[in-house]
Amino acid sequence: MPASQFDPIPILNQEPAPAPAAPQAPGPEPSPVRAAIEDAISEHRTILFMKGTPEAPACGFSARTVAILQSLDVPFAAVDVLPDPRIRQELSAISSWPTIPQLFHAGELIGGCDIVTEMHESGELAETLV
Amino acid sequence: MLSAEQIKQRIEAAIPGAVAEVEDYTGTSDHFHASVTAEAFAGLSRVQQHQLVYRALEGLLGGAIHALALKTQAPATVPPVP
Repeated sequence: MPASQFDPIPILNQEPAPAPAAPQAPGPEPSPVRAAIEDAISEHRTILFMKGTPEAPACGFSARTVAILQSLDVPFAAVDVLPDPRIRQELSAISSWPTIPQLFHAGELIGGCDIVTEMHESGELAETLV
Repeated sequence: MLSAEQIKQRIEAAIPGAVAEVEDYTGTSDHFHASVTAEAFAGLSRVQQHQLVYRALEGLLGGAIHALALKTQAPATVPPVP
């Protein structure tokens, strides 16, 4: 099994959405993007929301997080948040976490780059993810 | 533009008893390191500790603050009474 499994989430890795013609009315209307994110988190044991892809990270923090996961040989799904700004917006609303990357395991937010790095250094990350 | 000092004050004002050390590590007032110690963190997970700090900086992350490397901890021991 390859160290990195880039497992794209189809609905989340489509072309950027066209800009809405009119401002969207705020409301409790459930967003399809939010539902897709929630499904992705529950369906993938380990999933990383990042800028870019594991092969071509677009941010140093995402790159560092990917490198740590790959060093542990843990398979993980990855979602690039850059193609559609709604992904980041809805993800942060779900997780109460404003920054990218965000690592989830077994449906729970493990943390961003700093926490993943700390947990890696203490050995805790390998215990949690394996 | 934000200074490291403003971020420190904001964190310390929002989290009772917090002591924050903030450093502008690029000198461009948008990339910061913060290290925060607070009794309010005791018993919280790291994710919850970071969420408290993020809440203190609501609206700034992704805006004025491009990157914030964050380290949080509860005090190792009860601080000595002066």
